[in-house]
Order: sequence, then structure tokens, then C-alpha cells
Amino acid sequence: MLEIRNLHASVEGNEILKGIDLTIQAGEVHAIMGPNGSGKSTLARVLAGQEAYEVTAGQVLFDGKDLLEMDPEDRAREGVFMAFQYPVEIPGVGNTYFLKAALNAVRKHRGLPEMDAIEFLKMVRGKMKLVQMDEGLLNRPVNEGFSGGEKKRNEIFHMAVLEPRLCILDETDSGLDIDALRIVADGVNALRAKDRSFLVITHYQRLLNYIVPDYVHVLVDGRFVRSGGKELALELEEKGYSWLEGMTPEQIAAQPVGA
Amino acid sequence: MRILKGADDARNFSQCDSMLIGDQCGAHTFPYIDVQNPTARMEHEATTSKIGEDQIFYCNQRGISTEDAVSMIVNGFCKEVFRELPMEFAVEAQKLLAVNLEGSVG
Repeated sequence: MLEIRNLHASVEGNEILKGIDLTIQAGEVHAIMGPNGSGKSTLARVLAGQEAYEVTAGQVLFDGKDLLEMDPEDRAREGVFMAFQYPVEIPGVGNTYFLKAALNAVRKHRGLPEMDAIEFLKMVRGKMKLVQMDEGLLNRPVNEGFSGGEKKRNEIFHMAVLEPRLCILDETDSGLDIDALRIVADGVNALRAKDRSFLVITHYQRLLNYIVPDYVHVLVDGRFVRSGGKELALELEEKGYSWLEGMTPEQIAAQPVGA
Repeated sequence: MRILKGADDARNFSQCDSMLIGDQCGAHTFPYIDVQNPTARMEHEATTSKIGEDQIFYCNQRGISTEDAVSMIVNGFCKEVFRELPMEFAVEAQKLLAVNLEGSVG
């Protein structure tokens, strides 16, 4: 579904991503871990199409199509969704109204008829249960006055409504306590499907206890230095990122996979 | 705002909210006050806001075009005032707004 080849990206002239290769098949959950400044969020934002980030080399194919050539709204309509690390507030624009506009834009792109308000509300009520969303938050302006946990839950709610193919979760666990984390993880797990893939970006292993990944990749200084199964996350938690920092890629690859 | 000599205990509150679209404009609000009765109470409040790039990007990432995003955010901004207007006028005002916004995003 997603193929990243030798991706290099910079922001304000500084190179952050220094040659990323990654392949994600449909239905897979990939986790990306790494120390601060390694480029985790940069990768998410480059995939989402944020203008400030300049791609200097490489290619990204989404279902065989050139993702980097598309505007962010077209990437979204093709099925790429990013749950923001810091969701913005949009005063004056109701959450439901916003979502209906978004969903209809996606449906139009796919050649589907637009949903009217009644159909939409019915569908939304079902999704709300999935992510334990509070009905009161439906008509509030998008994220306005929402607590940190509510904002993150709202991101997952948007994800449930828009039914994307590739879900990029940018440090969705940051700022959440255990209960909020569990609710968010339950929502994500409820959306797992064989035609949907997840790219979970996180600093801490804890989230991966709840959203169990198929593959874990470690990003250090703009490059993947190690990939493995979910045990790799546990190993990192035990040994810390400093275990890998300061080693050359060859040295890292030569490290035995711990018990 | 003008308060005449015979208006005892008059009270005024004026609110002026500006929203800037694009980077070529600015908003300058000057209250003009002419008070002829010393028992009057005058209040004036002004805010200026701008549509953030990150708000536009958030809308884009959900599949909404930049033009639609600006339209939605501006309508949201004006909603409170439109709501106070008689319906026929409010409808016209909204249509005028849409025409003016068309092509102004760049």
C-alpha cells in the first residue's frame, strides 16, 4: 500500500530525513520509535503534505500513485489520514459540520453520492460509540476548549468517520494519562481491518502494549537503524535509545536480538 | 458613537472583530466618540484575528480544499452576527460573502 524509497526531507534548510525506506502492506501496523529530534514527526508531516517540509530526494508511492505530487487534500481524499500530535482549534466551525464537509469531499472524489444531514448523523452516532465520543463534543466548534485527551479522541473520531486506508498516528499518546490512552487505543483497534494500515509514531513503548504492532522501526538521526517485531519495542524500553545512539548502522545491525 | 445631552445614564458597548485573510491586509479600528452627557458609560472592544496556516492545513488533511476551508472559517467567524440579522438580509449577506471570498485565497 505504501512504499517509501530513499526519502530525504528538510525543513528551513536542515536535512531531517536522510534516506528513509519503508514498505507497508494493507492490514499491517507499523510502529516508529526514536529519540527526540530523530525525525518521527517530520516523516508523518511529509507524508501528509505539510508545505514547510521540503522533499529533496526519494519517492513515495501510495497504491502505486505518486503521493508527493498530490496536494494534501488530495492525499486525504485518496485515503491518507494523519492524527495530529497537536490538533488545532477551529472556532466557529462545528465538529459535525466540519466532518460532513470532509466526508463529502472524500466521497465525491471516490465517485460516491454525498450524504445528507440525516444519513450523516445516523452514521456518526454509530462511530461515536466506537470511540466512546461524548455527544456534547459533536456540535462544539472543532477542538475548541477540548482537553488534551478530548482532542486526541476527536482525532480518532475523525478517523472513524472518514474511514481512511492509511492512518498515521503522530505521537497520539503524548500528553495522555493511562485511561485516556486506553480509550484512544481501543478506538484505533476497533478500526483495524485487512484493507487498512497504521503507522504509529511514538516515543514510548507503553502505547504499543495496547496497539500491538506487526513491525517496529527505530529512527535515529533521520535514518532507520533497526527493524524488528514487537519485541524490539520492549528491548528499547529496557535499554533506552542511548543503546543505539553513537553506533554505526553496521554495529546496530550486528547487535543480537535480546531476550 | 454619539450620546446627546438629554440621554441620561446611557450605556453603549461597541464590539469590532476583524479577520485578516491573506498577508496583504491590515485592520485599523478607530472608535469615534462624541459624548454630551456626563452620566454616559461607553465601552469599546476590538479584536483582530487571522486564519492560521495550521488551521488551513488541518482542513486540507481532512480532505477540505483551501478555498472551502477559508469559506467555512470566515462563515463561522461571521455566524454570530448573521444570526442577529433578519433572515432575508442574513441570506444575502452570506451570499455576498461567498462571492467576495471566491478567488481571494492565494
